[in-house]
Amino acid sequence: MSINQILPFISTAVMIWFTVDVLQRYVVRRNPAFLYWGIGLAMFGAGSFAEAYLSLSWNKWVFFVWYLFGAALNAAWLGHGTLSLLVRKKWVHVVTGLLVLGSLYAGTLMLQAMPKLDETVFTTSKPVSEQYGSKALDAGETAPAGAQTFTTTYRGKEVTAVRGLLPLGTPVRLTTPFFNIYGLLTLVGGAIYSAYLFWRKRVMPNRVIANVLIAAGALSIGFASTLTRLGYGQLLYLGELLAAIMMFIGFRVAARPQPDEVVATNTIAASAD
Amino acid sequence: MSDQTRTTGKSHIPPNSFLFEKIVPISLIVMGIVTVGLILFAAGVLLGIIHF
Repeated sequence: MSINQILPFISTAVMIWFTVDVLQRYVVRRNPAFLYWGIGLAMFGAGSFAEAYLSLSWNKWVFFVWYLFGAALNAAWLGHGTLSLLVRKKWVHVVTGLLVLGSLYAGTLMLQAMPKLDETVFTTSKPVSEQYGSKALDAGETAPAGAQTFTTTYRGKEVTAVRGLLPLGTPVRLTTPFFNIYGLLTLVGGAIYSAYLFWRKRVMPNRVIANVLIAAGALSIGFASTLTRLGYGQLLYLGELLAAIMMFIGFRVAARPQPDEVVATNTIAASAD
Repeated sequence: MSDQTRTTGKSHIPPNSFLFEKIVPISLIVMGIVTVGLILFAAGVLLGIIHF
């Protein structure tokens, strides 16, 4: 196995540990933010595992999991956890409803795309993120080396396109940017905003560092994914592992009580005895 | 968490810390710029301005 086949399995293990940790906190504290993060992390873990599996072998339902949970939905659910800490409950309920409906809609579109998958283009020699989508070439644009092309009519024009697993113009692909923009804005934007608030008030340095790590982790996967789609997929698995580790450390640092908080807690607990 | 065990203390950012005076604010600014860039990129894809 190459290093690029091992890294997604390590990311998956980190994400499983992270997911269990967050969901345990939800069971204890009943804070919905932990539930939304837990859902997002479980999706991230499922996506990482699917990616690891697809680097070894093909299975169309593993691809379903990879695209729906790994590429489309996970960032939005992670970001929604952060949003739920920053805005009023009324708005959280509204956005949660929209996110659930949007996720079900994306799942339905993905199911509809399944019979149309072009499985013959699949290879384990490239990351699945480099081969999932068909792409119409612009005039004068050349296909990447080794890519399979075909000619078809698309949006009323005859075009040459690079073959991918999902057919040209698959509706589910149009939903992905909505989820990812929402996820990026709320997860990274929310972490940067929270870090700034604590930093400006000069309090809780652990929360400042934690939010910087969470934002950096989320950005590393966003950046690696963007590079992959531009044809530079070598850094994707490393970016995913860095994201998993940095967000996990950030979460643990945020949850860790500070020395004077421990003193205060113990004092109150002792005085209550 | 019960009222008896709720934390009341708040630790403070150490004064004159290179980490909190330089690295953190610069990181926040850089990450903010990268985030806006990625959002514009994703919006460009969504609107069909950027093809891939």
